[in-house]
Amino acid sequence: TLRLICTTTAVQRKNVGASGPEKYTEAFIKKQIEEFNLGKRHLANMMGEDPETFTQEDIDRAIAYLFPSGLFDKQARPVMKHPTEIFPEQRKIQWGEDGRPFHFLFYTGKQSYYSLMHETYEKLLNVQKHQDQLIAQDLPLQKEKRNLAGSRWLTKIELEEMLLEKVSDDDYSRFIQLLQKLVALPCADIEEKYIQKFCKEVPAQLKTVVIEPLQYDERGVAFSTGEGKRKTASATAVVYDNGTGKITVNGTDILHYFPVLQDREQLLFPFQFLGRIGKHDMVCTVSGGGRSAQAGAIRLASAKALRSFVTEKEVEFMRQAGLLTVDPRVKERKKPGQEGPRRKFTWKKR
Amino acid sequence: MAAPSAAGMGRRLRAWLPRIMPVRWSRYNPSYLEPEVKKESYQKPLEEQTEEEREQMELKAVRPIKAAPPTLSSSVFSDPMISKFTNMMMKSGNKVLARSLMSQTLEAIKRKQLEKYHKAPENEKETIECNPYVIFHQALKNCQPIIGLSNITKGGKTYQVPVPLTDNRKRFLAMKWLITECRENKHRRTLMPEKLSQELLLAFNNEGPVIKRKHVLHKMAEANRAYAHFRWW
Repeated sequence: TLRLICTTTAVQRKNVGASGPEKYTEAFIKKQIEEFNLGKRHLANMMGEDPETFTQEDIDRAIAYLFPSGLFDKQARPVMKHPTEIFPEQRKIQWGEDGRPFHFLFYTGKQSYYSLMHETYEKLLNVQKHQDQLIAQDLPLQKEKRNLAGSRWLTKIELEEMLLEKVSDDDYSRFIQLLQKLVALPCADIEEKYIQKFCKEVPAQLKTVVIEPLQYDERGVAFSTGEGKRKTASATAVVYDNGTGKITVNGTDILHYFPVLQDREQLLFPFQFLGRIGKHDMVCTVSGGGRSAQAGAIRLASAKALRSFVTEKEVEFMRQAGLLTVDPRVKERKKPGQEGPRRKFTWKKR
Repeated sequence: MAAPSAAGMGRRLRAWLPRIMPVRWSRYNPSYLEPEVKKESYQKPLEEQTEEEREQMELKAVRPIKAAPPTLSSSVFSDPMISKFTNMMMKSGNKVLARSLMSQTLEAIKRKQLEKYHKAPENEKETIECNPYVIFHQALKNCQPIIGLSNITKGGKTYQVPVPLTDNRKRFLAMKWLITECRENKHRRTLMPEKLSQELLLAFNNEGPVIKRKHVLHKMAEANRAYAHFRWW
């Protein structure tokens, strides 16, 4: 099976909203909200604060003061929050008192998913009809391209949250294919509002990282530091300006520390890419890992340090050259019943 | 299973569920793109780029990028074909030895070509190629087969069916043949760089055992032309 190594917390969070029709009636939730508001006012009175301006943080602090708990699990301690945060949003009961369901697709089992598919297909047919009308009148078809790179479709988790029911991988992929088909048509601008519901903006990768400003030491020379890791090696590099291109690692010159040409090439890679080979001095410390891992760690550390010396455009070029990404590849573990991470024991017929 | 669809970030990824779960996986999220190391591609001004290149640039601005591997570098001396060949020559992870053998081979090629150059008469001097990288690339290109054979079992009998090959497969076969040829068919006392340089120069001139092997494969494919319809892909 496909092993999911790189996950986000969103994947691991269980989608409680899709676990089935609601277990609490609407009247019960309303009563809980009234009780919560009343209790908030009582708490404010008890603490001597003004009941009108009593925020959630004040409630948390008051509860922590009145009911001190030494439990390790934060979610096991006493908590007083608005009922909508405690009782997760679930679908209301889908059938009336006579047992007859409200939605016409209830007996398919995935009513919201199928109704969504029907709606999207209706929009598709609409767009095609509009296209045919334009062709009949010999008018030119609008061909404005949407901004493809800046947006992404909703993930499966987000779709599940929107529909409040479980969506399988197959269903999700079919839905995305239908949306792509809709967008590919030339006159899709008519249904732009509908499509926007399923799009999310992706900010440019560059904006996520903060570039530190340059620091100046006693002699007035500008320098900046960077840290890098690769496998088990970690390195810190200090890059000085107005240098002669001398590089020192753990007190020794790189020619003595890295006898192999490939490692030295890796150290010089960021400088050569930016064209600043003879202009900077570097002093690094590195520990752990092997010869190649240490070289990779220093390369990452020096690339991070060079970010402060260089324009934003060149930082983006460095990122696209793969100089600023941490290499996540590590040694794969050995599994029981096998000799190594992949190699199995010799197969003996008897 | 949340596995393939949690990776469905970005419109370019087809949200496709494979029928059989693959065993080969990587530590990177599938949305990570390959790095572009060459300096020249970043210095091209905006006007010269075609539509596709502009879309590629926009996509690269939004998606994360994998880290550059240690064999790849932007210096003029790093060549992806040479690195691939060195990796294939390497035994038990001894990259230092493989790299030194490769550099000795290139040196040997250069020496032989220079000898020939100095001995040749004036009018032939321009035709002799002295750059070992050019010789290496041309030799590999000459060794690449155009068509391959694959074993297909039909009705109990196994037939050798002619099959088109992808670019990667062609390069791999050319390199593999060169290395096996040099390891097996040499005198006990000759070293690998010498033998390799000999083979590369022969392949550059379309002679030698590797080219013969390629021709043999082509002839077999031509002979088994009748079974070509067994292929279903």
